[in-house]
Amino acid sequence: MIGGRRWPFWTLIALLVVAHFVLHLGLGLGAAAPDLLTVAVLLAARRMRAVAAAAFGLAVGVIRDSLSLTAFGADAVVLTLLAYLGARSRDLFVGDSLIFVGVYLFVGKWLHDALYYLIAGSTLRGDTVVRLFIQAPIAALYAAVAGVAVLTVYRLITGER
Amino acid sequence: MVAGLLLLALFLFFLPGGYQAPVRQAVRGTALRPFLALQGEVVARRVRSVDLAELRAERDSLAAVVAAQVTLGEENRRLRALLGLRSRAEPAFRPADVVRIGVAGAESSFLLDVGAADGVVVGSPVLSAEGLVGVVWEVDEHTSQAIDWTHPDFRASAMTADGEAYGLVEPRRGRFREEDLLALTGAPFHSDIKPGTRVVTSGRGGIYPRGIPIGVVVGIEEADTGWRKSYLLRPAVRPESVMHVLVGIRKDQGGEADLSQLWHISAPPDTVRSVPVDSTASADGAATGARP
Repeated sequence: MIGGRRWPFWTLIALLVVAHFVLHLGLGLGAAAPDLLTVAVLLAARRMRAVAAAAFGLAVGVIRDSLSLTAFGADAVVLTLLAYLGARSRDLFVGDSLIFVGVYLFVGKWLHDALYYLIAGSTLRGDTVVRLFIQAPIAALYAAVAGVAVLTVYRLITGER
Repeated sequence: MVAGLLLLALFLFFLPGGYQAPVRQAVRGTALRPFLALQGEVVARRVRSVDLAELRAERDSLAAVVAAQVTLGEENRRLRALLGLRSRAEPAFRPADVVRIGVAGAESSFLLDVGAADGVVVGSPVLSAEGLVGVVWEVDEHTSQAIDWTHPDFRASAMTADGEAYGLVEPRRGRFREEDLLALTGAPFHSDIKPGTRVVTSGRGGIYPRGIPIGVVVGIEEADTGWRKSYLLRPAVRPESVMHVLVGIRKDQGGEADLSQLWHISAPPDTVRSVPVDSTASADGAATGARP
């Protein structure tokens, strides 16, 4: 994913962030729409330095948290950590294939939900097993499929490989 | 540097609620403003597309509540004037549309299209024609955020409609939102509240006016403490189905008001409230538990 012009990629990230809030907040779709914000953070983190990625995660986390009355800051903590781990994952895994990106997004989103539950669990509904091993994997799969689809379209348009 | 950012995020997380609110309001008023405006427009369009008869019924119910309240208030003022009594504060309401928030961590809260400019304050009660929906938690200039009764922090001082037993109502969360119930806790152990008994706000604590329906007793929850009993209630209002509400705009007088007549409830006067002991009111205020 690295190389070439940069602005198309950052436009994609900005569009993902905007699309997330349009779907979840503007249209009020809730869980019916994929978590594009986490997808945007995870994709961006792969192209950023660790500090910049963490700052990006913190910023979008605070924005999403602003509507949470009981767990304000929880998503900021999780996305900061997740963005940092995403940036550092370049040291361990090199690859830009769609399969790799799909697995990366799935694991990243599942980790997001697990960490969020760990931090804000007392304010959330449902039991741990259902949340971590049924709801979270489904949400992670949904986000991964959406992320891969968006990335496929992006690559077709820009010709990036 | 990364550790510093993480610490900043943790600092925000552990910040007391009172300090978090300005940050939330600032972000909502800037970064999220276009999206909230979009949702307001979507809600308005959805309302226009809803079955007209259903919409008219809901609006008529709310209008009936307001009209009855105005009539009773006028009658009350006239009688008090005849008796030479000081005029008692009457609650006033603003109609508002409910805007749902589709993000994690905001499940039991909703936005209202009325705010400080309309007289809404933190702690304003939110009602529907069926009864109590929730309470306003944060107020911006033209919008406000409220919690409904399914929120873990929701509490309301309550009594049976006949005034025989008082207690505190709190939510009992189910696996799904539709399974949520309420519980009347702290009822005296000797009380025997029959299933089907209506439970309404008691007016104690200064948050909710007296006499707003909360739910109906469906059975006993527990009685093992030896001191008091808890009863499960079927809620009067399902928050997920509410689209239009009334928001109380005189919070400072809300606790004194009595709305029993609006729902044809004839509870006897609260004798405890007539005792001029400040400590009683303070204890009730603490007992409501709600942050406002």
